[in-house]
Amino acid sequence: MSMDKDTSRLEDALKIALRREAVPHGFGDRVRARLVDQGLAGQDKSRKAWLRFFMPPIFAHPLVRWGTVAAVSAALVVGGIEYRRIEQERAEGEAAKQRLILALRIAGSKLQLAKSKVQGIQADQTENQQEKE
Amino acid sequence: MAEPVLAGKAAEKPAVITETDFAEIVHRHQSMVYSIALHFLADAAAAEELAQDVFLQLHANLHSMKSDDHMKFWLRKVTSHRCIDSKRRYRTPQISLDEAPDPAAPTPAEDLLLARRLRQLVASLPEKPRLIVILRYQEDMSADEIAGALAMPVATVKSHLQRSLAMLREKASRIIGEVTI
Repeated sequence: MSMDKDTSRLEDALKIALRREAVPHGFGDRVRARLVDQGLAGQDKSRKAWLRFFMPPIFAHPLVRWGTVAAVSAALVVGGIEYRRIEQERAEGEAAKQRLILALRIAGSKLQLAKSKVQGIQADQTENQQEKE
Repeated sequence: MAEPVLAGKAAEKPAVITETDFAEIVHRHQSMVYSIALHFLADAAAAEELAQDVFLQLHANLHSMKSDDHMKFWLRKVTSHRCIDSKRRYRTPQISLDEAPDPAAPTPAEDLLLARRLRQLVASLPEKPRLIVILRYQEDMSADEIAGALAMPVATVKSHLQRSLAMLREKASRIIGEVTI
């Protein structure tokens, strides 16, 4: 019973001892000032927000960023050279194909000419034979 | 009298909170936040800085406040966590309540001195029990509410409270004597 009474007295004393205290004068103004400071800092951050939106967090490190730029540039140069080489090969192949077609056409016309000449000779021979008979 | 911002449960989606609204919110809760920090840290300057940090964090999270009660709960929780974090960051050598030297016995009718000595005793408690005692006797929170704010089991809160009270009673009775306590 005495213990309960003691506890109750202690609890009452604690409630008095731990009463809410008034904040120091100008507390609200100082919070507002810090908010304004933070707002100005926030504006600066928001300028770079679009970059953060497009860039995965791994690119936050400058070394990774520059490494990526270098790798992409190297890939573009190598890709360009390779593209030119393939284009050149394709053009050479096309020219060779045109030359082959031309050669085939010439050979075909020569054959046609030889064939018509052979047919002409054969026709003459047949005519002469008929005359003899 | 003006209706408090986010009053009651109706304010599910608060309208845009103006600077004046926020100033009013700060004014309404500043004493609570500052006093928790002050009683925990026992350092007025550090308590003010911590309280300012809490309100800056509140400003950044205003959109998630559902009601005034929710905001009060959030403020007590964030203040408590910041108190513990702050004590861990700037750890000062602590002595346990048992090892704390007994202050000299008070002269009769020294209520202010009694309160000051009790605050000293509370300040000498370990971090979590100290916070529990502050939330219980400053904020008049129940064990359930404290458990919710500090994310710990209710039984732990109750046991911390009982042990702290026993230690405080023993120390206080040695200091002040049976007559006062």
